[in-house]
Amino acid sequence: MTESIVILLAGIFLPLFPLSMVFNAVIENIKHAWLRAVLFVVWPLCGLFIVLYSKVDIPDWVLPLALTTSALYALRMLSLREVNQWNGFLATSLWSLVWLAVMQDTSAVLLYSYALSMSAPLVLLVLLSAGLEQRFGAAYTELYGGLARTIPRYTGVLVTVVIAAIATPLFPTFFIMLDMVVEAISATPFAAMALLLIWLLWSWAGARLIQGLIVGRASDIEMVDMNVTTISLFSLVLMALIVAGLYLSGVIL
Amino acid sequence: MEKIIIVVAVLPLFSALLIQIFAGRIGRGIAQLSVAITTLSFLLAVLLLSLSLAGQDPLAITLGNSTAVMLFDPLSTLLATIILGISLIVHLYSVRYMAEEDGYGQFFVLLDLMTAALLFMVIAGDLVTLVIAWYLVGILLYFLLGHDTRSQTAYRFAFWTLITYRIGDIPLILAAALLYNAYDTWSLTTIFTEIMANPNAHQVLGMPLTEVVAALIGLAAFARSAQFLLHTWLPYTMDGPTPVSALMHAGIVNAGGFLINRFAPVFIHSGDVLNWIFIVGLITAVFGSLLMLTQNDIKKALGYSTMGQMGFMIMECGIGAFSLAIYHMFAHGVFKGTMFLSAGGVIHDARNDDGIPKDELYTFAVEKQPNKASQPWILMAAITLAVPLVILILAHLLIAGDYFQKQGAVVLLFFGWVTGAQLIFATYRMRSQNVWRLVGLSVLSLVVVVLGYVFISHAFDLFLYPDPAFRSQLYTAASIDLLRFDVLVVMITLVIVSGWVVTYYAEQSGYRRRQQTKHLWLNFYALISREFYISDIYTRLARTILAASNRLNVWLRWL
Repeated sequence: MTESIVILLAGIFLPLFPLSMVFNAVIENIKHAWLRAVLFVVWPLCGLFIVLYSKVDIPDWVLPLALTTSALYALRMLSLREVNQWNGFLATSLWSLVWLAVMQDTSAVLLYSYALSMSAPLVLLVLLSAGLEQRFGAAYTELYGGLARTIPRYTGVLVTVVIAAIATPLFPTFFIMLDMVVEAISATPFAAMALLLIWLLWSWAGARLIQGLIVGRASDIEMVDMNVTTISLFSLVLMALIVAGLYLSGVIL
Repeated sequence: MEKIIIVVAVLPLFSALLIQIFAGRIGRGIAQLSVAITTLSFLLAVLLLSLSLAGQDPLAITLGNSTAVMLFDPLSTLLATIILGISLIVHLYSVRYMAEEDGYGQFFVLLDLMTAALLFMVIAGDLVTLVIAWYLVGILLYFLLGHDTRSQTAYRFAFWTLITYRIGDIPLILAAALLYNAYDTWSLTTIFTEIMANPNAHQVLGMPLTEVVAALIGLAAFARSAQFLLHTWLPYTMDGPTPVSALMHAGIVNAGGFLINRFAPVFIHSGDVLNWIFIVGLITAVFGSLLMLTQNDIKKALGYSTMGQMGFMIMECGIGAFSLAIYHMFAHGVFKGTMFLSAGGVIHDARNDDGIPKDELYTFAVEKQPNKASQPWILMAAITLAVPLVILILAHLLIAGDYFQKQGAVVLLFFGWVTGAQLIFATYRMRSQNVWRLVGLSVLSLVVVVLGYVFISHAFDLFLYPDPAFRSQLYTAASIDLLRFDVLVVMITLVIVSGWVVTYYAEQSGYRRRQQTKHLWLNFYALISREFYISDIYTRLARTILAASNRLNVWLRWL
């Protein structure tokens, strides 16, 4: 009984469908960007804390449910046009996979670093999305388009953050996914295949998001591009993520 | 030398970084900077290749305490030189070609990053580096093809490329994971050594690991090299900048051939997979060539031409002629790169003069007016069939006496014979004052091509696979039961010769067709002109998935 309650509670933070809807409802109602960013960091850590602190035995049904949740949100990302919602769905899809790592007996430190590494690009995307809302009133794909011509520096950072979020080399999530596939392939080959298909869906969704935002003619309204200091800060964080990814590759592979 | 091989791969990365930092300060000078660094990298690659040609032993260089390993071997040095050579030409061409485009600096950054990714791919001595480089090539190509951010079409087809490449990443990652699980190492050298020592040591789902891995590697190669059913991206990605098309058709698309060569020690224990690879390559070659001939858009025709060539390259791997695939890759790369890069000049010249001489070839090939005066057909048939065969046999006997004991060699010979016979066959019907002079010239050009091809491919064979036993094992692995092989050869010969006979009679009757066959031909032509509806099916499938995604979101209230 206690075990089930713990799993249910953890299933809100390390999303398991339909509990995963809680996080997306919360995100939907928080309008302040910094608060949203904090939530993106804290949410999976809470889930991990619950699972690790309770030392609960994870039932076998969690694995297919976690994979289904991840696949469901990855599929649903394809038709999203609002950047914040897209980000929330990606977070749900990513964090539900942490269950796999938990079930693969990954160490606690590594699990926390997985969750943080997965969240880091999402936090950056929250901030970038807020920047778009500030400039255009909304962060919707295909609404204004042509960002690459209107605000090229901003677009450069936005594109890099999106490709970091969807587990592209050399960012940490890539190595985490690779590690999960390696761990899963011998015991549960179907899980490895599912992981790879989910990964493919992220790429598809990422490409649709990028295309919806950056492609098209320049806007007639003049917009303020990202300043050099902010670019430097974003670049620094992205470089740190690459270094973390390479470090993580040495630790986990 | 260990440092040189790392420097060769790192230099383009360094160039990309410098351009990114200094783009604002040195303006258009960034192109010169990029060209200078690529030239330096190319010269170092040439040095490495010459060391390898001089007989320097292969090396596996581990980077510090990491899992990353760089390989110095004939395959990596040869391909690094080819990649850097093509990249340098593309760089030089882009300096002026891209000068008027927006995002000049960004283009050179991407070009340098692509060069680096390709270099890391060919020198990778471990599975992680190989997977990373393989993956990044797809991502970088997406952005290079979509360089013109105003063009929705460019991005639409760049996405086709990206998604096909990502589909191709899946089997490579699976293969890497399986190999790591079995051998507990990422090092390719260690894995290959253990496979050579005991090929059947591991099983996956009741099948030998080598067969499963070989099949997965084959699938990854198919996606990258636009094999049938995974080819639709190639003919449509023509909206990208011309230098990118050149780089793609001359280099990137050939990666499938490289991958199969890199995993040669796995393939020698996977004969069945090689047979499948041959079949897929054959289908791709036939469909690619067929679709090329029926395009009225020159760019798409070039795309399908590349598809056909990739089919031949994969087919060569399927018969065990691995080194020949590398030679094909190199020759096709140079040829197709030249075509793309000279396309602009040709179009410019054609505006003043179409440059088409109204000569014998024009009246024959374009106006379809064959010569009415025919030669004695028995004599012509004998020359058509015998001359190419004699040339090919003599040329091959010159380089290796035991050549004809390999089935793969016979297959190659067969294709060479068909091509040669086709060439001579075409000349009889041309309007010419002197048919014999024309036939003589055709035979002479065939001799030059065959001798050149035979000697160079033999040199590639000796360089890439110096161990005669290993070379022999590759051909043996690709062999099939002798009776089945002979039946296949006879059947294909009959099909081809029947085709010639039909063509001959069609010409004789002035291409008049009966009503029923006319409808059949029209339906067939409609099928081809819609490119067998393959891209339509994929588009429909993608739309269905997107609609399902949307419906799910509505049902679940976007939460």
